[in-house]
Amino acid sequence: MIAPMRYRRLAALVLAAFAWAAFAAEQGFTNRATELKERGSADSPTLATLPENTPVNVIERGGAWTHVEAGGKPGWVRVFHLRFPAVVEASAASGSGFASLGSALGLGGKSDQARLATTGIRGLTSEDVKNASPDPQALALMQSFRADAPGAERFAREAKLAEAHVDDPAANPGDAR
Amino acid sequence: MKKIVLACFAAALAATGAQAIDFGSIINKAIDTGRQLHEANRDLTQDEEIALGDGLAAGFLGAAPLRKDPQMQRYVNRVGKWLAMHSGRPDLPWTFGVVDTETVNAFALPGGTVLITYGLMRRLDSESELAGALAHEIAHVVRKHQLQAIQSDKSSQAWADLGKGLASDAIAQHGSDPVGLKNWGASAGVELLKNGVFLRPLDRSMEYEADKLGVVIAARSGYDPYGLVGVLEMLAQMKSDGSGLSVLDTHPAPADRLAQLEPFMPLVERDVSQPREVQGRFREIVGAP
Repeated sequence: MIAPMRYRRLAALVLAAFAWAAFAAEQGFTNRATELKERGSADSPTLATLPENTPVNVIERGGAWTHVEAGGKPGWVRVFHLRFPAVVEASAASGSGFASLGSALGLGGKSDQARLATTGIRGLTSEDVKNASPDPQALALMQSFRADAPGAERFAREAKLAEAHVDDPAANPGDAR
Repeated sequence: MKKIVLACFAAALAATGAQAIDFGSIINKAIDTGRQLHEANRDLTQDEEIALGDGLAAGFLGAAPLRKDPQMQRYVNRVGKWLAMHSGRPDLPWTFGVVDTETVNAFALPGGTVLITYGLMRRLDSESELAGALAHEIAHVVRKHQLQAIQSDKSSQAWADLGKGLASDAIAQHGSDPVGLKNWGASAGVELLKNGVFLRPLDRSMEYEADKLGVVIAARSGYDPYGLVGVLEMLAQMKSDGSGLSVLDTHPAPADRLAQLEPFMPLVERDVSQPREVQGRFREIVGAP
């Protein structure tokens, strides 16, 4: 049994770890001098000019602009004007238990949880793949989930996905489509 | 090379009991064919490419099982098929699978099979990010990057393995099928996975090309072309775990990929009018963040 004092110390350590994770999850930096905009568009008013290497906390990612908070001020920065320190070990850990604990503690997005998920079952290694026995039944099962074109079209309509004619600017002459 | 092939199939030969068949000549012929493929630099036919992909997929699924979530599997297939219909090879038998591992990565196999790990799935934020990841892999298949890597392999081990595949097919026709796939291409795929040729990173130029074509495919399909950018932003916060198989082991650094995409995105954006992220049904399938 853990003595109350030690237990409290442990709890404090755990909370400190979560606090660090939450902080680390949100933290990025400007990779050049850039403008903090009121909204995510170039013609929106400029709230501040951020020098290179300004720390920002990411509120939301998506699209060409990222919603951030810089120096206590919320605003939008071009996605390509941010950089992020690599702090999460890719592919470690299921960590679902940690993730739900994170949610219970009110930690935000899944990137927080990804950071918490640093122990547990490891991911695949190259050796696992090289040494595996082929599984033709799993292959057949996977192929049974294939979608057909009409099904994919219905699925796209449901989400109002509108096809667009987009040429490939990097295409070689003569490439199909 | 002949010795390797003979050793590998000795057990299979013994099991058939078909001693009357001249396996030595079958194997020699198969190896010759593999060598000819190499020397002539002949492209595989589409059927051969598909069979090779089946073998690779069967091998891969032996290491990382398919996630037992039919709803998620169907969902990923619908997103993937819709994207593939806007690629340069819409008529391949496109197959998408979520494999149950925490490794963060996705893999394109020749012939139109794309595997995405659950570790990557659960870190994505929207259907447009999933589309970005899948479209990058579709682009590898469209440009036949993996086949090019196998065909340019200098060790010639890949070609020995193609020969092995041919040999095992010849044997299968006589009543034994060592890997249960009934096809030389599939057997060759299994061998290519085992020797690691397939797991080596592709050239950086191929990855950058797949990023750009992937963005185009996603945009044509009505998705926010910045989906892949969002994925790369998320990946930039990760570091390799040394497994050799995470996206950071098999791809250029996310920051380098973002730097390549930056001047490219405006060229695509100008053609897009109503890009969509699609979060609702993505969350229904993948769960809350």
